[in-house]
Amino acid sequence: MSPEKTSAKQPAGIISLQGVHKSFKGRKVLDNINMDIMPGESHIVIGLSGAGKSVLFKCILGLLRPDRGAILINGEEWFTLPIEEKLQRMSCVGVLFQGAALFDSLPVWENVAFVLRRQGMNKPEARERAAEVLEWVGLPDICDKMPAELSGGMKKRVGMARAICHRPDIIFYDEPLAGLDPVMSDVITTLMKRLHERMNVTSLTIAHSMKLVREFSDRVSMLYEGRIYQQMARHDIDSSHDPVFKQFIEGRADGPIQFTFSGSDHGKEAT
Amino acid sequence: MYFLEAIGDAVQRLAYALGLYPLLAGKVIVRLRKPPWFFPLIIEQCEMVGVQSLPVVLLTAVFTGMVLALQSWVAFHRFGAESMIATIVSLSMLRELGPVLVGLMVAGRVGASFAAELGAMRVSEQIDALWTLSTDPVRYLVIPRVLAAMLMMPLLVLLADAIGMAGGYVISVYALDQNPHTYITNSYDYLELIDLYSGLFKAMVFGTIIGLVSCAEGYYCAGGAGGVGKATTRAVVVSAMSILIADYILTAWIFK
Ligand SMILES: Nc1ncnc2c1ncn2[C@@H]1O[C@H](COP(=O)(O)OP(=O)(O)O)[C@@H](O)[C@H]1O
Ligand SMILES: [Mg+2]
Repeated sequence: MSPEKTSAKQPAGIISLQGVHKSFKGRKVLDNINMDIMPGESHIVIGLSGAGKSVLFKCILGLLRPDRGAILINGEEWFTLPIEEKLQRMSCVGVLFQGAALFDSLPVWENVAFVLRRQGMNKPEARERAAEVLEWVGLPDICDKMPAELSGGMKKRVGMARAICHRPDIIFYDEPLAGLDPVMSDVITTLMKRLHERMNVTSLTIAHSMKLVREFSDRVSMLYEGRIYQQMARHDIDSSHDPVFKQFIEGRADGPIQFTFSGSDHGKEAT
Repeated sequence: MYFLEAIGDAVQRLAYALGLYPLLAGKVIVRLRKPPWFFPLIIEQCEMVGVQSLPVVLLTAVFTGMVLALQSWVAFHRFGAESMIATIVSLSMLRELGPVLVGLMVAGRVGASFAAELGAMRVSEQIDALWTLSTDPVRYLVIPRVLAAMLMMPLLVLLADAIGMAGGYVISVYALDQNPHTYITNSYDYLELIDLYSGLFKAMVFGTIIGLVSCAEGYYCAGGAGGVGKATTRAVVVSAMSILIADYILTAWIFK
């Protein structure tokens, strides 16, 4: 029921957050976050829209600077490093963004092989590697297409190929199933599971889908009012009696989290 | 009350925006001292800037040169000093109209596209993605654009100067019946090198302003597609205003 407490300093996890705070214009979005992600674990963060899940991700990835607290990756604080060192260390993470965030100006294979090309691999070799990874996500023969020509599901899979092409140890998924049809959701879920089993990666996922939580997670954290409200192993989800947590996993509008609706059905006219 | 609030709001926004330009400028300067510099991207951006600007710049220059000749003729005809038209045209083009008008056109054309491109990349998380793919977005996106604007502006202005003077020549010789030989001699005889150099130096400064302002607007863009539109408009307006202000300051400084 209370936020998880970790013993200070010595990190147990491959990713370790210690007392992380972040506010925007005086509004607390993250309020004393402590969590540890163990090596090889699949950790899913759930929470209402606007709870600060993406902000949490961005802090871990070094895209936002927390106001207070420490974030250690592989036992090392990245914020104090010079930019070049940070960028070098980024090669151990792969990120699948919510909208895939493919580079519009580059063809698919150059998107996928972006890091390899930056590391100085020559064109034919990088292209071959990209083609292999694309085939692995079920997209052969699209190397020379431009991202604008792809459907949402294809973009997600190309984004996934780009995230794993350089063989990272830690993978971040930001709402990997958002905006996909049920079949494509299952395809992506399967890929995520296969990646986990074959490559022994650690992953941190933001998700709204309880199906994904049940199929893919080892542990779950619920972010609520800026704190880690609950953290538990997957098999404890259904035995939880916390009303807020239950409301979330059952997906009900009524419960301890209050939503106010306009009393009249002509609310649109009022605005 | 509402009026005061609006002013306060505007001042706050201005302070916020003015903080972003130096912030990005600082990041650019820090990174310029060490590789990687991404030369192919710089060349690519130079091409883009050139291709995008050439038509508008040439058109602007030729009509400016023509109208300058026409208007000076009206004035100088009253004193019987038509021979001065050539000098007026070349001097105004080199020192003032070339850099300022090209600057304004490039702000509208290139500045808008810088802000829109980077803004779209920001809101679709492509800039964040670059970072996670071990690539510094300032080096990869901002520096090539700023350098391209800075390097291409003097070239465009040089071209505009030539075309503008040619436009003035055509009008003076074919429409206003001036002697072609005297016109050409008068174009050059009263010029000093500083007239040319000051214009090209201004062009470089204006190019840097356009690059930095537009890239900062795009790079720090927020608020979805609407935010990109606003950033693009602000990039053009702020670049254009800054060019006019910088022009006065530079002129006062160079010719003091
Ligand atoms: N760059 C930012 N500037 C100001 N507020 C922000 C910024 N990023 C996120 N926020 C705010 O932080 C809160 C959490 O956002 P976010 O992490 O995107 O939520 P979600 O859990 O749905 O991913 C939101 O209320 C949002 O308005
Ligand atoms: Mg989010």
